[in-house]
Amino acid sequence: MKQQAIDPFQAVGDPNRRQMLKLLSKESLTINALAENFDMTRPAVSKHIKILYSAGFISIEDIGRERHCILKQSGFKQIQQWIDYFDQFWAVKLKKLEDILNEKAKNIK
Amino acid sequence: MTKMIKYNWFFEQSPEMVWKYLTTSELMAQWLMNNDFELAPGREFMFKSNPQPSMDFDGNVYCRILDIDPLKKLVYSWKIMQGQGKLMLDSIVTWFLIPKKGGTELILEHTGLDEWKNEMLLQAMNKGWDQNVRLKMGNLFNTK
Repeated sequence: MKQQAIDPFQAVGDPNRRQMLKLLSKESLTINALAENFDMTRPAVSKHIKILYSAGFISIEDIGRERHCILKQSGFKQIQQWIDYFDQFWAVKLKKLEDILNEKAKNIK
Repeated sequence: MTKMIKYNWFFEQSPEMVWKYLTTSELMAQWLMNNDFELAPGREFMFKSNPQPSMDFDGNVYCRILDIDPLKKLVYSWKIMQGQGKLMLDSIVTWFLIPKKGGTELILEHTGLDEWKNEMLLQAMNKGWDQNVRLKMGNLFNTK
């Protein structure tokens, strides 16, 4: 099952997919069991699962005759990485702006 | 609306001075990043910073001015491409300037990251998952 990589931010932008991740965070589920929680067609559920899979949020394993969806870490890590990065980025930049402005004010006096 | 990144910063300078540093290309380069910014509605511009190879980030930020309210508010899109022109991050940066006694309060909001702010996701991420997520799941979420 090879898929084109999907932006993890886009993947969790959808409330149904977030709900799926939430359910999977409690336990691994077969695709059928997961689908039972949603009022949508089986192909629609499959489409969401594919997106979550492509974005690295879940893996799909064949156990016995069933396909199981299992939560995976890579999608989550990527999001957290960007948020952490820009959080720190802005703190550093704002401090720098403050320093530059204060320095400038001192030179004028 | 939830905000993913928000900073309130106080400056001892006037809103005019802070605005100048937010909207003049050469001055922005001094504290933010090299850029080809020009204050005009709808204007597209770019920031260039050091690449971050660990994040597959080439250091370029692609922006477009979305809103200008002189001395009060500035909004621009903030996009990052990864790999072969794939849109990685599609977000919005908003600056608010509020005149205060003895200076200016500057509020920065980096949004568009909103949708991702889901308690469950953050909690899970903060716990620092290892590869054996399945085994740990029980412990993580039973503490709720």
